[in-house]
Amino acid sequence: MIVQTAFADNAQEKALSVRDLTKDYPGVRAVDTVSFDIDRNTVHCLVGENGAGKSTIVKMLTGALAPTSGSMAILGRDYAPSSTQDARESGIGTLFQELHVVDQLTVLENLTLGMEASRLGFLVKSDLEERVTKTLAAIEPTIDPSARVSSLSVAQKQIVEIARAASSGASIIIMDEPTAALSEREVERLFGVIRRLRDSDVTVIYISHKLDEIFELGDNVTVMRDGKHIATKPLADVNGRPELIEMMVGRAITHDYESRGEIADKPVLTVKGLSNYLLKDVSFHVNEGEIVGFYGLVGAGKTEVARAIYGADKADGQIDFLGRKRPSSPKEAIEAGIALVPEERRTQGLFTELTIRRNIPIMNIRKLASFGVFKDEREKEVAREYVGKLGIATNSIEKYAEKLSGGNQQKVVLSKCLFADADMLLLDEPTRGVDVGAKSEIYDLIRDLANNGRAICIFSSELEEVLGICDRVFLMYDGRVEAEIQNGAEVDIPQILNVVTGGGRENP
Amino acid sequence: MTDLTQNPTSGDRVKRFLKDYYIYLVLILVVVVLSTANLDKFPLFERGNFLSERNIINILRISAPILTLAGAFTLLMISGYIDLSVGSAMSLSAVVYAMLVINGVPFLPAFVATVLLGVLLGAINGFLVIRLKITPVIATLITLSLYKGIALLLVEDGVSAIKSGGDLKMPGWFNDYGRDGVLFGLPWAFWVAILVTIAMIIAQDRMKLGKYAAATGGNPTAAKLSGINTARTVILLYVLVGVCAALAGIARSSFMSLGDPLSGDGMELTAILVVLLGGTAFSGGEGRVLKSFIGALIIMSLTVGMLTLVPAYFQTLVVGTALLLAAASNHLVSRRDSEN
Repeated sequence: MIVQTAFADNAQEKALSVRDLTKDYPGVRAVDTVSFDIDRNTVHCLVGENGAGKSTIVKMLTGALAPTSGSMAILGRDYAPSSTQDARESGIGTLFQELHVVDQLTVLENLTLGMEASRLGFLVKSDLEERVTKTLAAIEPTIDPSARVSSLSVAQKQIVEIARAASSGASIIIMDEPTAALSEREVERLFGVIRRLRDSDVTVIYISHKLDEIFELGDNVTVMRDGKHIATKPLADVNGRPELIEMMVGRAITHDYESRGEIADKPVLTVKGLSNYLLKDVSFHVNEGEIVGFYGLVGAGKTEVARAIYGADKADGQIDFLGRKRPSSPKEAIEAGIALVPEERRTQGLFTELTIRRNIPIMNIRKLASFGVFKDEREKEVAREYVGKLGIATNSIEKYAEKLSGGNQQKVVLSKCLFADADMLLLDEPTRGVDVGAKSEIYDLIRDLANNGRAICIFSSELEEVLGICDRVFLMYDGRVEAEIQNGAEVDIPQILNVVTGGGRENP
Repeated sequence: MTDLTQNPTSGDRVKRFLKDYYIYLVLILVVVVLSTANLDKFPLFERGNFLSERNIINILRISAPILTLAGAFTLLMISGYIDLSVGSAMSLSAVVYAMLVINGVPFLPAFVATVLLGVLLGAINGFLVIRLKITPVIATLITLSLYKGIALLLVEDGVSAIKSGGDLKMPGWFNDYGRDGVLFGLPWAFWVAILVTIAMIIAQDRMKLGKYAAATGGNPTAAKLSGINTARTVILLYVLVGVCAALAGIARSSFMSLGDPLSGDGMELTAILVVLLGGTAFSGGEGRVLKSFIGALIIMSLTVGMLTLVPAYFQTLVVGTALLLAAASNHLVSRRDSEN
């Protein structure tokens, strides 16, 4: 390998250097000429809002994506992984949010998986087992190597996976929101593991929305915003949460909320004390004709609120919707007049292999039938009506949903909900993957629906979206509604970010 | 969260014990019931005694094909895959083996050639599933039809099986392998089944193959991320199943003194049944070769026992019902596990 001279003289001291790294997607520059260094044997945090470009950088580091331009180096040596396998062999281990351990094998078998010493296919004794056992004991002595992984908690499985990366010779371990599913005690234990890793010649790249964790654990921090590098500096030099949040937000977020006038206090949905595996005592109400937003970062519990109301997840607490029977399944929710537009449009919201006309009436197909016999003509009429009403750009109602643009697909999903006679719409990330023009059309549609008396809940991780369209916004963090704000000109954006990154606890 | 591994309650221990040993308890139960039932009026059992030497030998030698198959089939199912073509592969092997022998090929070359045929049949399944990416159920349903079709074609028009007749005569030694007692009253085919099972137990516990099969079935992504060549693992397992199907075909052919193109019919169901009965998860990842072997003994004891109790045409229904029970209990166990 060639040692590149473009990097600094002390390049060997840098666990990882990134120079002018850029990633372009059609129409979007996700990462824009980013350069920074990560010191050896430190915990280096990567922060930024949703969409700041953190996960794109991680994907390039782990070989899942190739950069459009720019370069990377590990310990001063050029690094351009061609695959995730290649990245692992270059010493970059990754702790994915989805765990990659084999439940049916023991801890030790998992630690040695794929690295076993063997002769003619027969397993033979080697020092490998002793080595990985030692590595595991060094970072977490309470896990029994002979235990079945299926008997471990999520936190312990995570540690097994970290131990595997460490014992397969990773010099850098990337952790993306590793505490999302952990209890407080488990988080403490994980932090202990991370500190011991750092002391045993491993560099950790730590990504989290929880700023308290960053301050507790990190040595240095890199702040990203809108795909650009804002700053890299020691956390000791960062003046508390306010400075970090200011770097993350930077400019004022533009939001063009137009007040829709006074909304009468006429609750259609009242939720009290909603709690389940993730949600903690969530209470709120939504009025007729109101657009309510739920804003929070990944794992805050937005989707879970929507699923609980929709009857897709079990939850304790009260849900009252116009005095109707509380739905215990999506089918009952639809019958009660609640419709959900799921986050994963292509896999959960749409039948991509059916045509527009087959998609639109599918939630309420009985409306098209008389005496149990389905009327093709009625279906066409309905499809034409909605294509016109919602402005779905297509030359034919016989077009496959798969072939439509993201914005038009979302309009088809909305049509489905409207045809189902929903009085309330739950919209989870309604404009994800939708281009700017179609976005504002969808916003107009949502406003129209609300003006016609429907109640609307939007669950979004885009602050601009929530502030652009919602009348009231609930801020979520860690399964709780931490604050409620009335939308208007004087919203305090740094304060919002403070709340959704866990800063609302001290000064509510 | 507390460590479940550290302090199992007594209830957990009972559950564990049942999970680990229920198959042996079932075998004992079946043997006890069959040997105490009053079977005097059933001529199949010598003097109505299930535990008579002749009866045990009889059961073990008809069990040779399924005992040979169970181990490799278990490993394949642990890896999350399935082979519905085993019955047809067995029939085709039986026909080919009988044809070779009846045309004067000596035992060893005929035997080796048939085993090589098994390698080919298994490799074709592996190729369809891994390289052409056809869903395992569909791919092996296709070969089920293909292999059986070839077996039927090989048998002359108007004749139901390859057998002695006309100018061609089966040699006298033809029955030695699958029927006539050679060692402790049992034929070679049974001892081969024992050897194959021991080999599969070693493969499961002492070789990379067994561990990789469990990893592939348990968490394919994790297996791939660990650098395991899951494609090669699965193809190898299909080949193993193919070889065992060929051995089972030879055993059946030798037992019946003919090459019957229908002799393996329904074997896929029996194989799935014994493997599920042995506690292998249908979703893959978990299972024991030895328990499937015990499962096969249970099913064969029951089958023979049933022959004496209920008409033969009831058997398919009974096998189906047993399969349903095995699958349902399997589902219940795995659901309880994931709820913990």
